[in-house]
Order: sequence, then C-alpha cells, then structure tokens
Amino acid sequence: MAGKIVSIHSFRGGTGKSNTTANLASQVAMTGKRVGVVDTDIQSPGIHVLFGLDEHKMGKTLNDFLHGKASIREVGFPVGENTGEGEGRSQLAGKNLFLFPSSINGKDISQILHEGIDFNKLNEGLQTAITEFNLDYLFIDTHPGLNEETLLSIATSDILIIILRPDNQDLQGTAVTVDVARSLDVPNLFLMVNKALPKYNFAEIKKDIEAQFQAPVTSVLPLSFDMAENASKDLFSLRYPDHEWSKALRNIVPYILNAK
Amino acid sequence: MSVDILQKIQETEFFKELSDEALAAVAAKAEVCKYQVGDVMMRKGDPADSFFVILEGHLKIVTTDAKGDEIIINKVGPGESIGELALVDERPRSAGVVALDEVEALELTKDAFFELLNQRLDVSLGILRGFSNRLRFSTTYIEKVIDWSQKTAEGDYSFLDLTQPLNNRAGSDDDKAAQLLSAFYSMVSKVKAREETLKQELERLTFEIDQERRKKEFDEITGSEFYTKLKEQAKALRQKRASDQ
Repeated sequence: MAGKIVSIHSFRGGTGKSNTTANLASQVAMTGKRVGVVDTDIQSPGIHVLFGLDEHKMGKTLNDFLHGKASIREVGFPVGENTGEGEGRSQLAGKNLFLFPSSINGKDISQILHEGIDFNKLNEGLQTAITEFNLDYLFIDTHPGLNEETLLSIATSDILIIILRPDNQDLQGTAVTVDVARSLDVPNLFLMVNKALPKYNFAEIKKDIEAQFQAPVTSVLPLSFDMAENASKDLFSLRYPDHEWSKALRNIVPYILNAK
Repeated sequence: MSVDILQKIQETEFFKELSDEALAAVAAKAEVCKYQVGDVMMRKGDPADSFFVILEGHLKIVTTDAKGDEIIINKVGPGESIGELALVDERPRSAGVVALDEVEALELTKDAFFELLNQRLDVSLGILRGFSNRLRFSTTYIEKVIDWSQKTAEGDYSFLDLTQPLNNRAGSDDDKAAQLLSAFYSMVSKVKAREETLKQELERLTFEIDQERRKKEFDEITGSEFYTKLKEQAKALRQKRASDQ
C-alpha cells in the first residue's frame, strides 16, 4: 500500500501548526510506522528546531532539491538516529522518522521566494520521498493561508488536518479551506481545534464546529502555558505524556491510522 | 459543694468571669439537681423562678405546634445555661425543657440569685461582664454578616478567599452567632459556585461564518487558471494512485 500524504494546514499563523505536526508525526512514528515530515513552509521554516536540528547539523535541504542540487535521498534527515539530549525527543531513538527540512539560510529563502516553487518538482519530491524511504505517512507542514504551494499540498494530500483556534476569524478562513479541500476531492478531511481556553466546554466547541463544517473534529486542545513554555525546546507530547494537551493530541493518531 | 462541681460551674459561659471567691458564694446558694431521661425540667408557661446551669448530660428545648405535636427547638448540653434571661425580664417560660439522658444541673432560684446580686458587687459585675462579652462577641459576628451581605449584594465575593471557613461548632449561645456566620459563609460559597456555572453556560462560544464572504473568497481562489490546472493534476494523481494499488 502506498504511503499517505498528511497535510497539516491552518488559515492563519500562530495556531500551533508546526508543533502539532511535529508531535503528531512523532506519535505516529512511535506506533512503529515509517514517517516523513516535509517542511514546505519555505518562507518561514521552523519545524526542524523541534526535532533538534540546527543550522550546523542541517545538510542538504528541500531548497537544494528544488534547485536540482540534491536528491530527496540526500535531504532526508533520520531523526531516529540523531535524537540528541531532549527528554522527549530521545524516545524517538531507533524509530523511522525522517525530516525533509527547508533551508534557514536567508539567501536561499529569498532566492526561492523570488523564483517561485516548481510545483511539479515539489510533487515529484513528495512522491519520491514516499517511495525512497518506504514511508507509511508523509506529513507536510504548510505555510499558513491559501497560497499556491499550500493549494498544491492540499491537492496532493490523502489526509488534510486543518488546525484552527476557536474564534470567528479562524472559522471564516477555515470555511474557505474546507470548501477548497472538498473541491479538490481530498479523501479525508479532519479539523483540530487548538488553544481553546480551558473555561469553555470543549465538548460543545467540538459539536458546534462539526455542525458548521460537517467534518469531524479530532480533538479540542487546550491553550496551555506549559506548552507555550516548553514547546520549542522538545517534543512536548513525548516529554509530558500525561499533560491534557498531549492526551488530546494522541486522540488524532487513530484518525490518521484508520483513514482509507 | 465539691471542688469538682466548683470547677464545672466556672467552666460555664454564665459564670466564667467570676473569681473563685464569688464562685464559692454562688455555689453556696445553688443546689445540684438530677434528672432522668424524660424528666421535665420546666414547662412552657411556668413562672420563671429559677435558672439552671447544666453540669452533665443533655436536654431538649421543646414547644408544640398548632396540632399539639412536639417540636424540638434546640438541644443543650454541659456548660450551657437555661432560663437566665427569663429571670431578668420576669417573663414566663417560653418553652419546655426535657432531659435526653441523665442530667446533672445547678439550680439557682430567683430569690437566691437576686440576693446574691444584692449582696455581692463582684458577682454582679462578673455576671454583667459575662453578658457584655456575649453581646460584644455576637455583635462582631453580626457586623461581619452585615459586611458580607453588602459585598454579596454587589457581587464581590473576595471575602470568601480572605476568610478561613469557620467550623460549625455546636455549643453555647455565643457560638450561635459564629454558626450564623459559618452558615452565611457556606451559603455565599454555594451562591458563587452556582453563579460561575451559570456564567460558563452563558459564555458558550458562538460561531458565525459570513457565508457571502466565504463564497467570494472561494470563487477567487478556484477561478484562477492555476487552480483549474491544479484540480486536473490532482485528479490525475489520485487516479494514478488508485490504479497503482
């Protein structure tokens, strides 16, 4: 069975998308699946930090691949072999998790923004990553909004997870994304609510948003100061497995594993 | 009268301000009475001719309702006194008092009491001091209740956090004021909790989507040449993947 592409998207920034993607990909890798994570947020890459990858360790990047200067094989960074010190991250040792990072070099970023992305090339890269690394799931961390590169990742995805905060501005943007995803025949569409204030009734939020979009809400994750404080240092859900945020995040895993 | 009984008298609210000497004078005029379960110490309507300080055992204070059934107003025990106010204001007994178990009480008749007050300034002062302490004590609590009532009316529950919950102790009349305060505290805590639950229900988020804007933005995105091409490519890609499997 071919690997599935899981796009994680949000209409606005600040929803906790990269964090959710990194934690979710790690949780799926923990179940023994072969998992890849592509950072297509070329304008503002960031997910590599969560996997303990810094500019010294970063080798070939997605930018090199898009410019024909490296193969996808060279870009894939085996996280399970380089987990480092992080208490949460180190649990990934020996797991099959590969990161395909975007360059954090300013020159590379401005070059690709200037030239634009060759969509066929990116698509070819995604497909190659799946076959070369024999992946079960390839997670795509997209740039917020609905620009062309995001539309491409939505179009190619088997599973689309849209992250939103429980406010009307996010809801409005999510509505358009949901319509676009349906227009592009994405087979599995899930919503995930993040940063919900604990004073609200989460079950009501879930019910209301499901009713608005006629799509399943996998879980409602709380706004957490613990999360905000520790998020960028380590993989939160592995480090603090008993935290409410982590528990709610793990609820999403079966939705991914059971998607057709 | 034994030292043991003298000590018991001193432990009562009514006589606790008295010196040992004054206490001995009271004891000399008083008499220890014993009651068995069900014995009547006083009946409603009787003339108030003496008052009692309970040394041992418990009694119920009863009255009757319109149908003549017994209603228990209160229960009293060691250290508490019965009938002292009636002795001063000369009204008949307002309720009956019946022993609940074996009771030992100190009885001081009206005549002996007034004789004592007349003869000994130290006893009078001691009893007066006891009354005024109780009054002051009760006033403090009542002032607190007034203050809390005003705050509660304004929706200011901050005093709940600033105050330790009081123990709801059974005991002398002095403690009744404390019990009122304690009951008030617990009442306001519950009112506050109910109010918060209600607030949470009212604060339920309301979600609204501007459908016109939604459609306009969707049309803008899907109307481009890029999108049409993307849709075709995506369709081809999915078909290819389906046939590969």
